[in-house]
Amino acid sequence: MTDHIVAPADELEEGGRIITELNGREICVFNIDGEYYAYNNWCAHQAGPICEGNITGTTEASFDPESLEVSLDYCREGEILNCPWHGWEYEVKSGKCLSRQKVQLPSYAVRVEGEDIIVTL
Amino acid sequence: MSQQAQKQESIQDTTIVDTDVHLSVPAKEVAKYTDEPYRSHMANTGYAPLPSSGWDRNLAGKIEHYTVQSPEDVQQRLCEEFQIDHPILNATSKLPRLPQSDLAVNLMSAYNDLLIDQYLDEYDHFYGLASLATQKPDKAAEELDRLGDEDQIVGAYIATTGPNPPLGDPEYDILYQAAQDNDIHIAYHGSGGAFMFEFPRQNQSFEKFIEVHTMAHTWSQMMTLSSLLVHGVPEKFPDLNFTFLEAGIGWIPMMMFRLNKEYSIRRSEAPLLEKSPEEYIREFYFASQPIGEANDPKHMKQLIDIVGVDSLTFASDYPHWDFDHPDALEQYLSTFNEEGRQKIMYKNAADAFALDL
Ligand code: FES
Repeated sequence: MTDHIVAPADELEEGGRIITELNGREICVFNIDGEYYAYNNWCAHQAGPICEGNITGTTEASFDPESLEVSLDYCREGEILNCPWHGWEYEVKSGKCLSRQKVQLPSYAVRVEGEDIIVTL
Repeated sequence: MSQQAQKQESIQDTTIVDTDVHLSVPAKEVAKYTDEPYRSHMANTGYAPLPSSGWDRNLAGKIEHYTVQSPEDVQQRLCEEFQIDHPILNATSKLPRLPQSDLAVNLMSAYNDLLIDQYLDEYDHFYGLASLATQKPDKAAEELDRLGDEDQIVGAYIATTGPNPPLGDPEYDILYQAAQDNDIHIAYHGSGGAFMFEFPRQNQSFEKFIEVHTMAHTWSQMMTLSSLLVHGVPEKFPDLNFTFLEAGIGWIPMMMFRLNKEYSIRRSEAPLLEKSPEEYIREFYFASQPIGEANDPKHMKQLIDIVGVDSLTFASDYPHWDFDHPDALEQYLSTFNEEGRQKIMYKNAADAFALDL
């Protein structure tokens, strides 16, 4: 396990991301609401550049068996990372894929030390 | 080199032919190759000059909208990033659905001229499919005669969602004859965008594009394949090869076995056939994309096995939103020997389109 300095913390604003190459791998660090998350830029579907995708919300639905009503809810704005190649949805904070229960983006420990964002590979 | 390009060591040494690459030609660009009054028609129509179904392919911005608008786009993004050695380009799916047949005929030559002028003349390792307007089969035949000497035009692209009557009808024999005479093989391609013309209930009854898109290509290809066999097209034009693009391969076993059964009972309705439907279908070629995603990968391998190592070709369908990277197919080929893998990644395509590789 080695620590790598990715960038000075003040270069990564809330809502932003930095993609960099560490040990021959493309790694992305996101700043979501002041918390940092680091993933490989490599989608579990067909290896597309997952971390370059848009961050959006998504649509969820619930069914009420009493009234037989389905309610649609566009929710979780800012929490869903979408692969730019074919739109697989992942939770940006956990790396969990919404459509495939067993799929999860591999993540890395990331912390701020002094002025710098540090990722441990 | 990106991470995506680096990781494909297994396919780096394999020649790859991509049988389905789409250009994204802006209307004003193709207009330059049309004659009047079509040029002004294309320039002056306030709405999009060519009809569209209006479905949101890109999921409200979740999926990136990629386009191919220059030969460099093909070279960099497919040939370099995806390790495709020979992309086979097509320029439009829209011709057979246009209600105005004289416009469709003029656009047919325009798209084909654009393809040759802007793409095939730029890179020797690109090939192209001539787009055909099916409304006037005699005009399509003339177009094939006109393009017969173009070495890089290796096939005719016929959109299967839209043509009326279905494509086995004897009305099209003149087109198939010209294709055979000019050694231009046939590629059929369905489309989600035209499915509303074929099957109006899609826009009346389906609410979501996932429903339309799951059905459109396969439905159109099934209709085409049935029509070809019942009218005996492969018997009438024995030197023509037929390739089916963009419907994946899951529908093929169903058609083989179901048509076998029907034919055994109703042979007298398809009297030109001299062998079982399955035998004809095994002489056709099928592109892999969109590759199915079985929960158990073993089932995809079995499916590929049924379709056969002599019939499958690779296609990416780039730049459309459901394109496949070559690895998406390669991952299922580990059980084949080197010869089998080569057939699927390029030799079958070379046979299907008589490519000089
Ligand atoms: S590669 Fe990410 S969704 Fe296909």
